[in-house]
Amino acid sequence: MFCYQCGCQLSEHDFCTACGADVSLYKKIMFVSNRFYNDGLEKAGVRDLSGAVNSLRQSLKFNKNHIEARNLLGLVYFEMGEAVAALSEWVISKNLRPEKNIADDYINMIQANASRLDSINQTIKKYNQAYAYCIQDSKDLAIIQLKKVLSLNPKFVQAHQLLALLYMDGEQWERARRELRKCMEIDRNNTLTLRYLKEVEQMLAPDEGAKKQPARRKSEETLRYQSDNEVIIQPLNVKEPKSSSMSTLVNIGIGLLIGLAAMYFLIVPSRVAGIRSEKDQEVRELGEQLDAKTLEIQDLGSQVDSLQAELEEKKQELEGYAGTDGTLSSMDNLLAAAADYLETEDVDATAQKLETIAGNVVLEETSESFQKLYNTLLGIIGPGLAKDYYDEGYRLYYETDYEAALEQFTKAVFYDAENVNALYYLGNTYRRLEDYDNAAAVYDELIERFPGTDRARESQKFKNEMEAAQ
Amino acid sequence: MINFEEELKKFHPSLEVEDAEEAIYNQDLTDMADLLVKIVKESGEQESAE
Repeated sequence: MFCYQCGCQLSEHDFCTACGADVSLYKKIMFVSNRFYNDGLEKAGVRDLSGAVNSLRQSLKFNKNHIEARNLLGLVYFEMGEAVAALSEWVISKNLRPEKNIADDYINMIQANASRLDSINQTIKKYNQAYAYCIQDSKDLAIIQLKKVLSLNPKFVQAHQLLALLYMDGEQWERARRELRKCMEIDRNNTLTLRYLKEVEQMLAPDEGAKKQPARRKSEETLRYQSDNEVIIQPLNVKEPKSSSMSTLVNIGIGLLIGLAAMYFLIVPSRVAGIRSEKDQEVRELGEQLDAKTLEIQDLGSQVDSLQAELEEKKQELEGYAGTDGTLSSMDNLLAAAADYLETEDVDATAQKLETIAGNVVLEETSESFQKLYNTLLGIIGPGLAKDYYDEGYRLYYETDYEAALEQFTKAVFYDAENVNALYYLGNTYRRLEDYDNAAAVYDELIERFPGTDRARESQKFKNEMEAAQ
Repeated sequence: MINFEEELKKFHPSLEVEDAEEAIYNQDLTDMADLLVKIVKESGEQESAE
């Protein structure tokens, strides 16, 4: 403690040892200030914030330089949601003691976070707006605004109290009590809160209902009770109107009619649409099956046509082989030729029949037994006949009747393919008749089949001459 | 019974951040110690005048 006159440290005496000023009253003032500070500190410790505010303000009225008291007052204001009042106290505190002052930390804490400061200011503006709504009697808007305020700053005691007051005015006692309880959690000994709470508790006390008849003017027709967090409001003295049996029957009839109408308008159309879609599906499936069957029929028809054409072709082919009596004419002729030869050994007649058969059929397309019989017969009569045809051809060749000679040599080669002279003269006859292509073909066959023979060398010579002449 | 109008008068708008500076300047910081010094000073002046 310092002397108010010279600023020297004071001793236990009632005067300043430096300047001699009387400091007894000054010391008492300082003691009272400290006493209030201690009281405020004690109250703040038990969350009696409004009591702490009163004590600390008293302390500062006695000694404005009590830095701890001022800083604590700022803290208490901040805890009650009065951020600007708190800042004001801390700023004054910092001015009074610029160094080693915890208020500096508090101010920096708020100013460092710009969004927090902005949020605080928005909260205060909304609260002031809500207060203005209350003045204008727009209580619903005020309630909405205060709910927003409390969502931003749940420790704003004044906002809780104002909201509780609005609920009380609307006779929403349970909600008012909930708000006041929240106030109590922040500030336990706030006179205003306690007074409102007392009023609310009186309104909600069920056993004291008889004494509170005037106050419960709006709620007397209802029974309110708490179930968890919900307030159940049950109307009283409401009686169900009694109805006669006739009216009951009429009501049942109306209900049935409505049910039928609902079924007709709601259920039947959907059912009809369902059946229709099922039928459409069936029709589509049948159509697809019909298309598939039609394609199958067309395929079978085309197969029938092709088989019919093939049958006709085979029939015509068969008719070519068949005689008048239905047997194969070529086979018949061959058997007849073999029978004649065995009976008469008439080579000329047999040869004539064999020539006829060879002109009518393609030997390679006949059956194996046919070919075997034909070749056996030809092998028996062939060499003799070939010699006769060769001799006749040779004579005609040297008589320069080449046309006749060609026929004879052709038959000689036909009946004996191994007769090299017949083949040689056949080529020469073609050459004489200036049919050089056939002549060359015959010469080539001879050279290939009888290589190294004189006939082959001569054939080669004639062929070369023909090619040179061409 | 609570009278809403009367109770509303007990509430007041909260100080906004923009108003803080003005509130600080306008705050009356005179304390009992200041009054004591002033009284002692005035009594001293009266005594010297007499």
